[in-house]
Amino acid sequence: MPANTEMQRLTQAKLGFYYQSAFVLFVVFTVMVFTITGCAPASIDKLNNAFSYCSESNPASFNPQLDTSSTTADASAHLIYDRLLEFNPDDGRIVPGLASSWKISSDGLVYTFQLRRGVSFHSTDYFTPSRNFNADDVIFSIERWRDPQHPFHDINGGTYPYFESIGLGDRIEHIKRINGYRIEIALFEPNSAFLANLATDFAVVLSAEYADQLREESSPSQLDRKPIGTGPYKFVSFRQNQYIRYKIHNDYFLPNEGPDQIIYDITQRSSARMAKLITGECDAVAFPSQSDLSVVEERSELALLEKPGLNVGFLAFNTQKPPLDNPLVRQAIGLAIDKTSILDAVYLGQAIRAKSLVPSTSWAYESHAKELGYNPVRAREILDEIGFPSDFELDIWAIPVRRAYNPDAQKMAQLIQRYLREVGIRSNIISQDWNLFRQNLSLGAHDAVLIGWNADNGDPDNFYRPLLTCDAIPFGTNRAMWCNKEYDKLIELALLSSDLDERRAIYHQANQIIFNEYPIMPIAHAFQYQAFRHDIVGMKINPFGSIRFDDVRRIVAKDIERVEN
Amino acid sequence: MLKTSFRYLNLLFFTLLILLTFSFFLPYLFPGDLVTNMSGITPASEQQRDALERALKLDQSIAQQFKLYVENIYLGDWGVSTTTNTSIFSEVTEVLPATLELVFYALIIAIFIGIPIGIIAGLKHHNILDFTTVSFSIAAYSFPVFWLAMIFITVFCLQLGWLPTSGRIDLLYDIPTVSGFIMIDIALSDVDYKSQAYQNAISHMVLPTLSVAIITMALFIRFVRRSMMDVMSKEYIVAAKSRGFSSAQIVFKHGIKNALIPILPILALQVSTLITNVMIVETVFAWPGIGKWLIESIYQRDYPAIRIGMLIVSVLVLVMTISTEFLTRLLDPARENVEHATV
Amino acid sequence: MQRFNHYQEEYYPSPLMHVWIEFRRSHIALVGFVVLSVFIFIALFGDLIAPFDPNLQNTNAILLPPSWEANGTIVHVFGTDSLGRDVFSRILHACQVTFGVSILIVIIAAGIGVGLGVLAGLLSGLRSSVINHLFDSIMSVPTLLIAIIIVAILGTGLFNAMLAITLALIPQFVHQTRTFVKTELQKDYVILDKLDGASPMRIFFNSILPGMAELIVVQATLAISIAIIDISALGFLNLGATTGMTELGQMLSQSLDVAYVSPWLVALPGLFIFLMVFSVNVVGEGLRSALRNRLKL
Repeated sequence: MPANTEMQRLTQAKLGFYYQSAFVLFVVFTVMVFTITGCAPASIDKLNNAFSYCSESNPASFNPQLDTSSTTADASAHLIYDRLLEFNPDDGRIVPGLASSWKISSDGLVYTFQLRRGVSFHSTDYFTPSRNFNADDVIFSIERWRDPQHPFHDINGGTYPYFESIGLGDRIEHIKRINGYRIEIALFEPNSAFLANLATDFAVVLSAEYADQLREESSPSQLDRKPIGTGPYKFVSFRQNQYIRYKIHNDYFLPNEGPDQIIYDITQRSSARMAKLITGECDAVAFPSQSDLSVVEERSELALLEKPGLNVGFLAFNTQKPPLDNPLVRQAIGLAIDKTSILDAVYLGQAIRAKSLVPSTSWAYESHAKELGYNPVRAREILDEIGFPSDFELDIWAIPVRRAYNPDAQKMAQLIQRYLREVGIRSNIISQDWNLFRQNLSLGAHDAVLIGWNADNGDPDNFYRPLLTCDAIPFGTNRAMWCNKEYDKLIELALLSSDLDERRAIYHQANQIIFNEYPIMPIAHAFQYQAFRHDIVGMKINPFGSIRFDDVRRIVAKDIERVEN
Repeated sequence: MLKTSFRYLNLLFFTLLILLTFSFFLPYLFPGDLVTNMSGITPASEQQRDALERALKLDQSIAQQFKLYVENIYLGDWGVSTTTNTSIFSEVTEVLPATLELVFYALIIAIFIGIPIGIIAGLKHHNILDFTTVSFSIAAYSFPVFWLAMIFITVFCLQLGWLPTSGRIDLLYDIPTVSGFIMIDIALSDVDYKSQAYQNAISHMVLPTLSVAIITMALFIRFVRRSMMDVMSKEYIVAAKSRGFSSAQIVFKHGIKNALIPILPILALQVSTLITNVMIVETVFAWPGIGKWLIESIYQRDYPAIRIGMLIVSVLVLVMTISTEFLTRLLDPARENVEHATV
Repeated sequence: MQRFNHYQEEYYPSPLMHVWIEFRRSHIALVGFVVLSVFIFIALFGDLIAPFDPNLQNTNAILLPPSWEANGTIVHVFGTDSLGRDVFSRILHACQVTFGVSILIVIIAAGIGVGLGVLAGLLSGLRSSVINHLFDSIMSVPTLLIAIIIVAILGTGLFNAMLAITLALIPQFVHQTRTFVKTELQKDYVILDKLDGASPMRIFFNSILPGMAELIVVQATLAISIAIIDISALGFLNLGATTGMTELGQMLSQSLDVAYVSPWLVALPGLFIFLMVFSVNVVGEGLRSALRNRLKL
């Protein structure tokens, strides 16, 4: 066998070479990777003073008129557009926007708005404005949703859920252009929430000139996809499931010292958003998960803002589908569910128990509102009394996205499923992609849905009307599909008065009807959170609707520090 | 040679035909409206529906519809996505290069590291080094790729903070898409931060590439090692030894070549595993490739996109598989009678 | 007590015994075998040994850490999840689902695949080539893609995921069986049978089938590991088991939301998938080399 051992010796010598070369390759690769990445740590130089925000989903369009989803509003309302009026995010007072001043006639029917001069629209690669903002733009923007004959009314769906759900179009008698910078809006009857409605996210002002250009190019649907507004940022590009880019609008009519670029990094999983916040890929994130809040607080490079939210999370029953058309069935379900455990397990205590629609921060809050307690025995009795079909399976739809009002609908649905099983009701949990989900909800495909409402303005009418009135059913805000004439009358009545005590009493009556009929089970008013990197200043929580980056800046102290290191 | 090429073209043609036929019938199987499933457009009115039906030749025979479908596929008229209302063709041409890029880098790593290790392990089998290599490779391909990817994220992104967790390049770098391959696009762009952009793109690439590469590499090691062991015990190797060739000569001249050729068809079978892993890794790292695009289409029930995506990915896999087989045949014409690709 | 033996006799173990003797020579394979046995035990009796109902919620004890952490309890060995469910019981149940389903899938796929493979092997000419090509092209379509198509047509669910994986696994069995039958048919002993006038069926049952069992077992271990990985990947992508079911991949995916507070909720399901696949692979590898060594002797 000498030849063989010789072989082995040689082979080993040769193998040494292989191992060396493989090793060298490996080392070269590793070194390459680390030299390249080592000098470019995850928190890279923020080019040209940019700001990246991890948002939670794709906007359905870039026009909040078309949609009540806060994803759409967050991506457009305060970035791209302005409104005639604005809310002061600190105290909710109505302050001038594109209207520099306004007058209300003594009978409360005619509103005259004086418009700001020298406000320019965005100039982009797809549109160059030839004139500044004027009364025509305001009239175009309002008539688009108000007038069914308007050439742009039917473009991109033809529904304007917010305005239609509050029936605003039918309340306006006429809109008149007095001169280029003054318009008049006349109402049929006084409306104490009218100004507030004009300050909501949805009442954005579009460019009439851009609309004309699109009509000539016969691509009118671009109006809501490639938006033009007067807001502080202009739209650059959008990739589904990837990103939205905005650039600063240098000719903004207010001083605009925000970042040059804003990027929405669309990240659907909250855990992934948190990862990006930690690595510094995002400067701020939408809807941090309740359980991650402690992580944010522990880490010195992260910061957290907290504010009681003007919102309500609830379980809405589809009141048009048997057996849920029976109020007793709905109440039995309400009795079967232990709200306390939901508040503990889903909101982790970061919410206030909801008894009715409005939270305690609203003047219409009723502290002694009646509320169903947890009583599964009574629930079973009711079901037995009315002969509840034992083969019925309740489809609980759970929103697939995180919202302040419901941080984890899936988990909540699993809890509810358990409670229902305990009283002998079988149930399924249904969840789909957010835009698809909302389409199917509007068709009334659900038995019950875990969803909620974020206030668009501080007026209680903003809760009571869109959520439960008959008019709101076709527009997908009344998820209970519940229609009660008595309730509608009360809500109508409340608007006519401007006396707070009187209105409060009316809303309390409405609470009683909601309690008796139980179209929805109110669950919680949750706190709102905003998590961001510590080198960002000027983050604010806007309790009235969508996110705003007005005063957001990156402090450079950290950059200087790094250069020194 | 000509005959072989013809045979493979033939095979490619018929398999493509099967796939095309299958994808043609998909809209009939999907739930919902046929017109929307085919075109991606939800008709707003009866007139529009009629017009669409006529355009899709739904009033004519299936054969006519199929002909139109094949023509449209050829012309790049692939319909529009129901969620974004943009042309599917343009979406695919944007996401496909990202996937190819990932596959390419992963394969490079797997080949240049996996094959040498496999050869060495095969030569020195049944000692401690071989044992380690084998254990590593079994362990590596037992990893569910999504878990491996998450472990990487936890360690390298969250704990150490060395690498970013998602995407292809930091979104702050606005690199216009020209070819779709980020490395080429950076070179083509006229931005003034090219070197930074390169660094950034590479740092994004490391983890997704490694996640895919490690598992593929483990498979390569296993196959090469086995094949090398078989070859080295062959009679011609013994004969070469007895003739007094040096071991280097034997390994390089006879061993490696003969060991690598039989594993090519086995590797061809692994292409589909590779692509599955790539698709999952794309989802975990938010890598904007066709896998992520397709998985999101299914979440959004975007049927026209699913149909085309399915076609494109399976054609990609098919082309990779068949060309590997073709390569095998070219390198080793003696395998003429093996069962692969006999028409 | 050893009986007196008249003849000098060599001991020949039966083929199965022989494989076992070869198999247990590898310690790794033995360890893998033990781990695999544990999983098989869990798959059969998981629910009996689980201390809690896997779906029992307890909102008073959410996100308890596992018992080895400072503030963990021994009652919940692996802690509890965000709904207060016992993670240990859930993991047992999920292993049962994932592993059981994978084995079921492989049995079905093997049954269909071997049947078709034998058919393709015994047939010759055009028909064989058609079956061959059809399966070659299906084989190149990734499982995930088949799953996406099936989910698009039938909707999400564990059953649909199973269907997809079964479809994806069949071609491998067809391929292997077919090759095996083709090569066996050309061997001398089969030709001898043929010359004796045996019918194809007889040739198949008497000569080819006995040798095929081992091939199928080896192929099946490979298929089981693929099935486990695929079923958990689909669960992870929310294309497999739905919320009501407990499956390892889906468990992992749902735990991602609390990954920062309770990292073990992500680590444990992943670890169990890994262990499961690893043990199956180790045993498969052990079997393969045992068979190879037996043939060498």
